[in-house]
Amino acid sequence: MPTFSIRRLAPAAAFLAALQVHAVSAEDVFKIGAPLALTGGLADEGLKQQRVYRMWAERVNAAGGVSVGDRMIPVEIVEYDYQSDGPRAGQLAERLITDDRVHVIMAPFGSGHTVITATVGERYRVPTIACVASSESVFANDNRYLFGTLSPNANMTDVMTAFLQENVPDLTRVAVLGRDDVFPKSMAEATVRAAEAAGLQVVYNALYPVGTMDHSAAVSAIGASNPDWIYITGYTQDLILARRQMDDLGVTAPVVTMVTGPAYQEYTDALGSLAEGVTSSSWWHHSTTYEGVGAWPTTVSFYEDFLAVSGGVDPDYVHGSCAGALVMLEDVLARAGSLDGEAIRDALAATDVMTFYGQISFGENGMNQARDLPIIQVQDREIKVLFPPSIASADLRIVAE
Amino acid sequence: MQIAQILANGLVLGALYACLAVGFSLVWGVLNVINMLHGSFIILGGYLTFFAWRDFGIHPLVMLPPVALLTFAIGYAVQYGLVNKVVTAPVLTTLTLTFGLDMIIYNLMTVGFHATPVKVSLGLGSVSAFGVRMPVDRLMGMGLALLLTGALYYVMRASTIGRAIVAVRMDRAAAALMGIRVNHIYAVTFGIGALMAGLAGVIFAVIFPVTTNLSGMYLGKAFVVCVIGGLGSVPGALVGGLVLGVVESFAGHFFGPAHALTVGFLLMLALLVVKPTGLVGVKGYE
Amino acid sequence: MMSRLGLALFAGWVVILATTPLFAENYIVRTAIMIAMYSALALSWNIIGGFTGYPSFATVAFFGVGCYVGGIAQRAGVPMALAWAIATVAVGAMAAALGAIILRLKGHYFAIGSIAIVEVCRLVISSWRSVTGGGDGLNVPLLRWHPDAVAQFFLLVMIGIMLAAFVMNALVDRHRLGFGLKCIRQNEDAADMVGVDTTRYKIVGFTLSALLCGTVGAAYASWVGYIDPTDSFQILMTVKVPVMALMGGAGTVLGPALGAAAFVILEEIFWANFLEWNRAILGAIIVALIFFLPGGLLNISWRRAARRLRGRESAEAPA
Repeated sequence: MPTFSIRRLAPAAAFLAALQVHAVSAEDVFKIGAPLALTGGLADEGLKQQRVYRMWAERVNAAGGVSVGDRMIPVEIVEYDYQSDGPRAGQLAERLITDDRVHVIMAPFGSGHTVITATVGERYRVPTIACVASSESVFANDNRYLFGTLSPNANMTDVMTAFLQENVPDLTRVAVLGRDDVFPKSMAEATVRAAEAAGLQVVYNALYPVGTMDHSAAVSAIGASNPDWIYITGYTQDLILARRQMDDLGVTAPVVTMVTGPAYQEYTDALGSLAEGVTSSSWWHHSTTYEGVGAWPTTVSFYEDFLAVSGGVDPDYVHGSCAGALVMLEDVLARAGSLDGEAIRDALAATDVMTFYGQISFGENGMNQARDLPIIQVQDREIKVLFPPSIASADLRIVAE
Repeated sequence: MQIAQILANGLVLGALYACLAVGFSLVWGVLNVINMLHGSFIILGGYLTFFAWRDFGIHPLVMLPPVALLTFAIGYAVQYGLVNKVVTAPVLTTLTLTFGLDMIIYNLMTVGFHATPVKVSLGLGSVSAFGVRMPVDRLMGMGLALLLTGALYYVMRASTIGRAIVAVRMDRAAAALMGIRVNHIYAVTFGIGALMAGLAGVIFAVIFPVTTNLSGMYLGKAFVVCVIGGLGSVPGALVGGLVLGVVESFAGHFFGPAHALTVGFLLMLALLVVKPTGLVGVKGYE
Repeated sequence: MMSRLGLALFAGWVVILATTPLFAENYIVRTAIMIAMYSALALSWNIIGGFTGYPSFATVAFFGVGCYVGGIAQRAGVPMALAWAIATVAVGAMAAALGAIILRLKGHYFAIGSIAIVEVCRLVISSWRSVTGGGDGLNVPLLRWHPDAVAQFFLLVMIGIMLAAFVMNALVDRHRLGFGLKCIRQNEDAADMVGVDTTRYKIVGFTLSALLCGTVGAAYASWVGYIDPTDSFQILMTVKVPVMALMGGAGTVLGPALGAAAFVILEEIFWANFLEWNRAILGAIIVALIFFLPGGLLNISWRRAARRLRGRESAEAPA
């Protein structure tokens, strides 16, 4: 909200003049606070969240707003850039709650930043909804006010392991390389656990630090371990590089999985034909056909709206999950019947609702319960869904023997 | 044979590191300025290469001259107009100034290009010899990196401007008395530093993803290479780059990728303590 | 030496900061906490960077290690205040040991050595997973009080650390140590020759510049409740702290506190009003600072005033 207002000079103004009058009225607007990483390392993800938030607010307000009890009230998204900077995320959450008086906070992208934001939310008893945090460590803090719409990582890796075992005969040797950062690391670890539990042999298992510019050592070692399944996690730039270096060094395997690689269009765009055959898990894909509540009752309605805004670029799971969280909120508000933080929290905890994004119901720790998550593969430059069968559009293709 | 592959990986990476660091080293050695803009110049070169390739189908090699010209011009202007005014101030001042400038350029690039990682894909495949497999684009990058580094060495040794730069570096006052326009030479040096960064960016665009997020990392590498090799000399950057590349490659293999970077930094700290002038540095150019 | 007026203004400023909870919202209180926190860091940096003239970028390493030592201690059941004390001592010891190594370097080499310390600390903390949680970060036990009480408590804690750093600066400034450090800044070889034990002085100075950063880090960890290597060892913070000290006037006792306050407030204003361009604007301010305020905020007004009063010029900074 890049508007210049006197009130935004708050810090200086308050310090110098020591007076700041605030209209504390129960305004009839439902305010959602959104600290976003619009600049800095996570800017890409922040911009995705911003796009969906704005789309939703526009659509809901065009239809007269959200219903809270028996009233219809408009919604407002209050967004700030926290510059991918942890302390600032916390500062912003505080500002959103105490200054902008938001009723709910949508957590930013980074898992660590989600924890920081949610911690502030908890202090003020304002619910925080995390639509892009999937690591259980984020939800391990007994925070009653934190809810996440992605389901646990372990769930994703178990499904994937089972699916591959079923579809790839002689799958025995797995090589796992993960980025040492909350989400990629926990995916790598969950995969190692799932593979071992399923009786597979983990022949390579390593983490690479943030800031790695070259993967040749790891990729060579993976090649030497002769795996049937190569599983690499990281951010898009890491995965692009790793995939290139696998090709460069002639390292391949029947199954190559990159998380979240192909789930993002940037990945397939940058790699072109090299993306071919790479599999991944995702929390959502736009070919799913769930139907549910809210502003976007079907995937098609969301997809069309999205394409109109994005200029033809497909939405990915970040868009899907965040939009899913917002339509869920419509249902939550109707049930809460008021804008009180405690009422919204209780309604959130009791959520059991179907949305275009899928079923949402929160477990003990506040994470969305396990459900069937799509497994995707790049085939002929398109993203095909392999699993679950209800939305599958292709069979698994083996990359190389 | 695996050892040969690791060594080859390290050498190729090392040549790229050398190219990345040589301009930074020159500016530091001659001007006594730690140029925090260096990483952003590399990214700028990378983005220009990518957009020329994607939107106009221009081959990255063709982009070398225009990127060189542009980055040289920017570098010259920055030094002549701004840094020269405080070039004799303590380290902290010039470093802070270039840091401030870097914040501006970084902001311009994130607004202009977003942070989405992009990449030029030439699809050149790879070649094998003696059980060592090497991608063609990396080999090309290595060749080009060495060529550029060599060209800079030649310029510094043989051309008038190169001799003038060396003279200013040795004794600013004496050089001024000899009729050398010190401010101009400083600006040229800074320009050459920026130009080398821009060209490294062109090469890197073919090999690494291009995103503004990587500028800090490139800058960090340049630091390490300079300290290992020794400041202000082309051979220093070359040796530093190759050593770092090989060390990271072996450390990544034997201790796992998690520790490759730590080993590089520890080597740098150790050298700082034992031999601050670097492996081939000359004493006295702090 | 600082003037009475300066001291009075500073005292007034501390009172304003400390009373923000009475008249402002928690967001402002949070900004006040940040101001106190950065003031403490900038004042600490001043000992090595200002008095001694060594361009250290290691502040964030001390801060980060303080975060982790404090956080790990608290997770192990150590009471909060004791955890902060442990962090302070541990960071001090680390600085003394590291100082013995990198203080042999001068100028640029020292700057690089101090940056290398930050990187090595970050990498060690990231890879030492069993203790630090690696890239996952650590959840630090939270104070489960009312948010207003939490904010007030940490405000007072940070102001306390800031005052400790201020007193430390004032004492060093008057003491032999400060004189020795300033001699080193002027001409290290000459200082050595006239009998200043430069090595010992520098190590003591470096250690003092680290101590309270450890305390700040540990208190910060308890306040936010979550730390990870990326945020604890931010390269941006490494540069911000010296910039704040420069902005106010490095080598003076009040300058760093003034610079930190001005920087944080400016940053808030730009960031709130110019969403997309705040980084560039901040960069432009830094550039302008170098050209128009080379001696820092404190030195312009002070020096000019002095010049007018006495009718003559003095090139020396009022150290």
